Amino acid sequence: MTTPQSLNFGDNPVRTKANRLRRVLRRRPEGRAFALLGVVAVAALIFEPLVFTAYPVTLSRVALVGLVALGLTVVILMGELDLSVASTVVLAGVVMAQMPNIPLGILAALATGVVVGLVNAFFVVKVGINSFIATLGMLFVLKGLAVVISSSKPIPLDNITFAVKFGLPLVGALTPRILIFVVAFVLLHVFLTRVRAGREAFAVGGNRQAARDAGIPVNRRLVTGFVMCGVVAAGAGAIDTLERTAADPTAASTVLLSSFAAAIIGGVALTGGRGSVLGTLIGALSLGTLEVALTLTGVQVDIQQIFIGGVLLLAVMTDPASLRAASSSIRTFMQGLRARSTDRELTPPNTLPS
Amino acid sequence: MTRLAESPGTAVSTAPAQTEPDQASTAARILLWTAERGIVVFTLLLVLASVVFIDGFASPVNITDVFHRAAPIGIVAVGMTFVVISGNYLDLSVVAQVATGAVILIGVSNSHGIPLAILTAVVVACLYGLVNGIAVGYFKANAVIVTLATTYVGLGLLRWLSGGSIYFGPKNGVIANVGDIKLGPVPISAIVLIVMAIILGFVLSRTTFGFLVRAFGANNESTRLSGVNTPHVVLGAFLITALAAMVAGFVLAAFSNTAVSTMSDGYDFRALAAIILGGTSVFGGRGSVLRTVLGVVFVSVLTNVLVLSNIGYGWQQVAIGTLIVLAVSVDALARRMSKK
Amino acid sequence: MSGAPTATAKPVVIEAESITKRFGGVVAVNDVSVAVRAGEIYALVGENGAGKSTLMRILAGVLSPDEGTVKMDGRPIEGGTRAALDAGIALVHQELSLVPEMTVAENIMLGAFPTKGGVITPQKLRELAGEALREIGVTIDLNEPVSRLSVSLRQFIEIARAVARKPRVLILDEPTATLTPAETDYLLQMLKRLADGGLAIVYISHRLPEIFATCDRVTVLRDGRLIDTMDISGTTPDALVDKMVGRELKRDLEIVRESQPGEVVLSARGVTAPKVEEIDLDVRAGEIVGLGGLVGAGRSEFVRAMLGVDVRTGGEVTVKVDGRLRRVGSYQSAVRQGIAFVPEERRQDGLALTMSVSDNIALPNRRALATAGVINPTKQAAFAKELADTVGLRPPNVKRDAGNYSGGNQQKIVIAKWLGRRPRVIVLDEPTRGVDVGAKAEIHRLVRELADQGTAVLVISSDLPELLDLSDTIHVIRDGRVAGTLARDEADERSVMSLAAGESMVANS
Repeated sequence: MTTPQSLNFGDNPVRTKANRLRRVLRRRPEGRAFALLGVVAVAALIFEPLVFTAYPVTLSRVALVGLVALGLTVVILMGELDLSVASTVVLAGVVMAQMPNIPLGILAALATGVVVGLVNAFFVVKVGINSFIATLGMLFVLKGLAVVISSSKPIPLDNITFAVKFGLPLVGALTPRILIFVVAFVLLHVFLTRVRAGREAFAVGGNRQAARDAGIPVNRRLVTGFVMCGVVAAGAGAIDTLERTAADPTAASTVLLSSFAAAIIGGVALTGGRGSVLGTLIGALSLGTLEVALTLTGVQVDIQQIFIGGVLLLAVMTDPASLRAASSSIRTFMQGLRARSTDRELTPPNTLPS
Repeated sequence: MTRLAESPGTAVSTAPAQTEPDQASTAARILLWTAERGIVVFTLLLVLASVVFIDGFASPVNITDVFHRAAPIGIVAVGMTFVVISGNYLDLSVVAQVATGAVILIGVSNSHGIPLAILTAVVVACLYGLVNGIAVGYFKANAVIVTLATTYVGLGLLRWLSGGSIYFGPKNGVIANVGDIKLGPVPISAIVLIVMAIILGFVLSRTTFGFLVRAFGANNESTRLSGVNTPHVVLGAFLITALAAMVAGFVLAAFSNTAVSTMSDGYDFRALAAIILGGTSVFGGRGSVLRTVLGVVFVSVLTNVLVLSNIGYGWQQVAIGTLIVLAVSVDALARRMSKK
Repeated sequence: MSGAPTATAKPVVIEAESITKRFGGVVAVNDVSVAVRAGEIYALVGENGAGKSTLMRILAGVLSPDEGTVKMDGRPIEGGTRAALDAGIALVHQELSLVPEMTVAENIMLGAFPTKGGVITPQKLRELAGEALREIGVTIDLNEPVSRLSVSLRQFIEIARAVARKPRVLILDEPTATLTPAETDYLLQMLKRLADGGLAIVYISHRLPEIFATCDRVTVLRDGRLIDTMDISGTTPDALVDKMVGRELKRDLEIVRESQPGEVVLSARGVTAPKVEEIDLDVRAGEIVGLGGLVGAGRSEFVRAMLGVDVRTGGEVTVKVDGRLRRVGSYQSAVRQGIAFVPEERRQDGLALTMSVSDNIALPNRRALATAGVINPTKQAAFAKELADTVGLRPPNVKRDAGNYSGGNQQKIVIAKWLGRRPRVIVLDEPTRGVDVGAKAEIHRLVRELADQGTAVLVISSDLPELLDLSDTIHVIRDGRVAGTLARDEADERSVMSLAAGESMVANS
């Protein structure tokens, strides 16, 4: 057997340090999130440095926005959507408040998350409905259930003392909420980068047919994804309830907006297969900082909503795929403009003589 | 361009060149029928059952009430049908648009007269349509996220500018009087709905633009390759939705002679429910305004029945959410089983 | 390397017994049996639609047969892709089977990540991936995300993935479609080496020179049936083509068109785009210009860039409208100026399958069928019916959904819709791919008629006989450039192929 001649495709461009930074920023999906974070941080430094000195408040807000977003990231990476998270948060809290004690309550809340995830997965995988409509339907169903169970009234927890303690700093200035958020981030990061099922999630979203052909149990991965998202959202709901010492189904919430915003700003592609929890974390950091900065500056909630909505709109329009679509529209438009009649001599074609 | 592996559909035999549609199993056929024509039967059954079993359903007062509630949602729904049929899922910002329309009508007319109010409302509606349409049509961004964002921007703006206050129209002003017009038990709001349904139905089924919306929803690439300016089509769909939502806002305001930024809560999902239950496919391409109207009737009657039976708001949401999921499931299953 | 020892020397590794597969009312594979031995390279040939891909997918477990079994070492395999993978059957798709955002290493080991307790062991992952790459003799940076790699490279990664699982059977579907001749040579040598090592290889291709250079035995499929199986040494390319086509390959030289091409109607200068390097081209009224070349040479990309369907990064395209030259800008303006485009993927890009034939036909013709923005249904129905009859749609029921028709009929619908516009220029990309023989002839007739009526026709075809039949002039595209131009009387398969392939790749036969 002759030794094979080999084919060398490795045209490695010179990897200088400057080159590296530019490549990271442009190529990695998180690049945009870093940019936004930079902008927000600088602006905050100038206008409202309190954001940094009162960092527990900021981090708390980040943790609030970010936790749900983390779970959502897994589902989006797989190429699906989960719009029911907002209601899962509320429902989990309501369920928790029904339980006689806190530990049981937490368990019940998490179990709710699992059930929600399973139901979502059922409709998407078994029945074959588009995840958007399935989870949108669930959003309403779960919201309704929460209202029914709570009779539209806030339900105070039985063990108020523990709940109050939950809201107090545990390690340094960090409250349990922040710590849980960090833990969740670490766990999900490890899952998506080191654990087989998590890594395969990128294939499920990036090229589902290829994943199937390679023997990846796509349906099982999808179930895992939805369940994870549900559990995380439920956990967020439990945390929320503990901090408020009551489950409040009537509280207005921008969870849906903020969690999607954090993920999308963080570079998670809605088509799947692209993104990371790191990006979502940065997205959540940017958003949380922005929100707190605005609040501290005295900006009303309504205007904050305008900001957040605007940021989300911009984020989704500056997604690389969207920018390409827009620029080709502009290009076509320009080409169309230039297509005016011209009476010109045609130069002979540059083909080889036959 | 790389040559893709042959798809099964391109295999041929020396047998006759055409394919016969597969003989679908009975289950598949039942499902298919339900998906396509179920709504008519279900609506009739529901109405009949309600008349017979629910006390007070058939009373003129109640009928009028049903019409009143159905109308604004129906107007939004017939407009939003364009967005759904174009394959862009839905327009969540109708919530903001309806409330904005109502507030502008009463708020601006109180101080600057009705014509200016209407003009302002139209301009604002066009803005909504433009922002949504450009983001989704030219930037090809996900409509759900885009309209989610514009909802918050819109509501935030509305609440900020209106301070969250409730606006009242003058006691015997034009708006109030118009809002009280009735033809028998049929209030003017329902008449507006019927008129809009007829107009928009005509646009969708008979005009070139409507044709393009349906074609785009059926296959956006082949529509583009037929020489159509597809971003324009999407833009048009969102503009129509915005203008319809504005009209719904007007109707809502006229009926109660008040306007407040929270009055359109839940309109997004009710309108979507009406569209979906009417049998329009979420994937786009298939559906009609008539179906949406049927869906509106169904949803409104159902909601009314639930209210009359003292079933709370929570259960209503559960019921409607479940129905949406069921309806889409039936559609998906039917298509999957008959495609085998 | 042909001239294998007697067939009984090597054991049969995988066999397909009496496989039949139907899709709807069409029989794609009809009672086909093949057996592949260890260490042999086994070719599967046939025209488009003959059933090669379907059979191969059944072997790989992607599809399940309606009748018949697939056996490995004599034992039947039940189950889907997973079962086939576990049994040692590896299928090499084309590049579309990679996950763009994952690295080379991850793509190679996709579905088989080495783990310890559920956690991936990155060292082992790189090791195994590196091993697979070494086995096929390719050097790439393992950490590079696949999205940034060239098409040929992705093909090799696909092969590496198959090889990484240490399969016993390797099935390749048109593996050289996207490779340069040098890469093709390399691939063929690599396959021979792998076969020497005991691997059973199934090779599906249109390219007879490759098959005669590499394979030991060949099976010919036609219309889903097995026509013949034989040793390569016992046959010739012409004989093979005869069996594939089922008739004497007689070029319809009688249909020499009385083509009197008029003036230049469509003119492209220096068109540049991804994969297209400055192509110049003219098409005259009444002329049929063919674009030949290997798949992946850039023909579709050129045509799409020329018309503005995809982004054009450079160059100018003009069309002569009523005696005046106008620049072609956007695709929309091109259509307005009387240009028609029949895309390669008719199901995805050419038609809306859930709409009726009538609606599909009406789409580009909507302005003619509408007054003041309102479409006239009677006018539309009559219009569509007339066009459907002109193209010979069977059955001519324009109310039926387009998706219900066969490939050939669907293609006719696409052509019909453009006919309605009386185009000045019509560009067709692989117009008869996946189309049955009868419809193919009809489409050829339509194309010729169009030219006779003065339309400028540009056709892309990978079907050499078709290309030679139709074209008055052939431009052969290679690597994004025009490699050569041949007039009708000087063009034959050999001259086109040698221009298309560049240096000879028919080296060893």
